Amino acid sequence: MHKRSFHLRDIILLALIGIIFGVIYYAASFVYNGLTLLLTPIGYGPMANDITMGIWCMAGPLAGFMFRLPGSSFLGEFLGAAVEMFLGDQWGASNLISGAVQGVATELGFTVTLYRLYNWLTVLTVSLSTTLITFGWDWFRNGYSHFAGHMLIVMFVVRFLSIFFFSGVLNKLIINMLNRAHVIKE
Amino acid sequence: MNPSLKLFLAVIIALEVTFTTHLYTNVVIIALALIYLLVHHVNGRHLVMLLLITAIPALAIFATIAFFSPQRNVYFAWVLVTRIYVYVTAGSAVSLTTTPLLLVRSLEQDCHLPSKFAYGILAALNLLPKIRQEVKIIRIAGQMRGVNLHWWSPTLYFKAILAASQWADSLAQAMESHGFREGAPRTAAQAIAITRRDWLLFGGGLVFLQVIIVALP
Repeated sequence: MHKRSFHLRDIILLALIGIIFGVIYYAASFVYNGLTLLLTPIGYGPMANDITMGIWCMAGPLAGFMFRLPGSSFLGEFLGAAVEMFLGDQWGASNLISGAVQGVATELGFTVTLYRLYNWLTVLTVSLSTTLITFGWDWFRNGYSHFAGHMLIVMFVVRFLSIFFFSGVLNKLIINMLNRAHVIKE
Repeated sequence: MNPSLKLFLAVIIALEVTFTTHLYTNVVIIALALIYLLVHHVNGRHLVMLLLITAIPALAIFATIAFFSPQRNVYFAWVLVTRIYVYVTAGSAVSLTTTPLLLVRSLEQDCHLPSKFAYGILAALNLLPKIRQEVKIIRIAGQMRGVNLHWWSPTLYFKAILAASQWADSLAQAMESHGFREGAPRTAAQAIAITRRDWLLFGGGLVFLQVIIVALP
């Protein structure tokens, strides 16, 4: 039995998941800053963004797998970004833009399976769509047209691996546990 | 200025800046946003911290474009650095001068955000201290059994989501038993209207943005 729309309880849960990820990432944010400082002297500073990209995109796919409704992945990612804005991180309202881009990116991975498949293949389609769209957005945002070609290829591959491991595999492991605990209704 | 309009203005500024490469436009926007933040008596130390933390990604992108890219375009490197600062200053000009409660109320009353989203998000935000506490408890409970739960452990997320799922149930029930109904007409404790002055400021801001994008290099 699928519910047709989001109700109060789902919205609270989605926002709570956004906050949980925010709280746990906060402990991991030194990874991003440390990596950036380490990689800058060899000219790969922006790659810290690609290495950690999968972490920032976790809330969306998790919501998509949990709720199994069109729009849930977008909503999970976007609410997560809105919550981050309210909690007062450095990007403020600009968070909403990256949240919307990442939301569309993760949502498309579920759309191509017509919201019928929720297995490892979905993990792959979500990872692919998220990599492609967030990379396309960063192309404009971070001026990738000025980067060296070989560097872009390395960054793209690294971003895919990061998204595949964090937003894909780690999320799927969490989902498997939730399934076994019967939190998710099949 | 009306919180919703302020939010839209900041988002439009960030979007336009992403697709244009005008150094001086970016500098003017950063200056105006900083003035706005200072006029609103934002905590000075907080502001300095924001600008310092942002220096890390800014430095990375500058070094990459200026020293390691094929064209070594220093002007474009500065465009990207100022662009990052536009995101941070314009974004903070909204989030540091508006409380979540005011912004959500404004979005609900002025922009027809459904009340289930407005109050769902607010209810969740108020649980933040409880979530921090819960994550700590889960970690300590793990350590008592000799299990170290890192930020990449699925178990940590699983346990936190289990708790969140229960809280979401209880909160939704509590709100509904206190008379909250999705989509039902509501009265507002604090009416937030969009005045003519708000529209003028918003429209003026938009026009000014286009002018400086066209006029400045």
